[in-house]
Amino acid sequence: MPPSSEDGDADAVAERSVLLPKPLHARPAGQLAKLAGQHKENTIELVAGEKKANARSVLAVMAMGAVTGTEVAVTVTGPDAPAVADAAAEILSSEEAANA
Amino acid sequence: MTEGLGLVGIVLVSHSAALAEGAAELAQQIAGGATVVPAGGVEGGGLGTSTDRIEAAIGDADAGSGVLLIPDLGSAVLSARAVLADLAGEATARLVDAPFVEGAVAAAVAAGGGADLDAVAQAAEEARDAAKF
Repeated sequence: MPPSSEDGDADAVAERSVLLPKPLHARPAGQLAKLAGQHKENTIELVAGEKKANARSVLAVMAMGAVTGTEVAVTVTGPDAPAVADAAAEILSSEEAANA
Repeated sequence: MTEGLGLVGIVLVSHSAALAEGAAELAQQIAGGATVVPAGGVEGGGLGTSTDRIEAAIGDADAGSGVLLIPDLGSAVLSARAVLADLAGEATARLVDAPFVEGAVAAAVAAGGGADLDAVAQAAEEARDAAKF
């Protein structure tokens, strides 16, 4: 029997979409990679237009070249999917790192 | 994970003090919380690599979980190897073949997230395959 997609489930999936208030530069990319490193059982995938990146790779996230106003889709798979997706969305939607 | 304590340290070995310092500053900014120590140039301010500076940088970067060395070019590798041979047994330090800037950033982010030396070295090596855009 396939597992259901509830919170705490290893196959749980959570999706968020963020309209970037700032370019996805080095500092938020670093914060996302750190988040991914802190939640190793979860996979954080980002999609911006035709570009995709696993948040674990700071270089891949920076290479997406996502600018202000880009719609970024966040898909988290893993046991803490909803909480990790919220944290990733918060990093992406934060105004603070605008110059990083 | 113990924040700021016991993290893997990173040493950037460059022929240029300015290059090592700039790359360390950038990697540290992005990673936030990682220890990245520059070991660039030689006494007197010229270009070259100094085994004394590398050895001191390893000491500064070592928080008990090991140190990853990233060299820029050619003889930076030789100088780093000479230091590692001298330190054999005294410090857990490893030299990695990785792009200088991208490797430093990827390694610093991994180290800042509490990754062990193997994982930090792997992050640096994987930087070779990361397209810039």
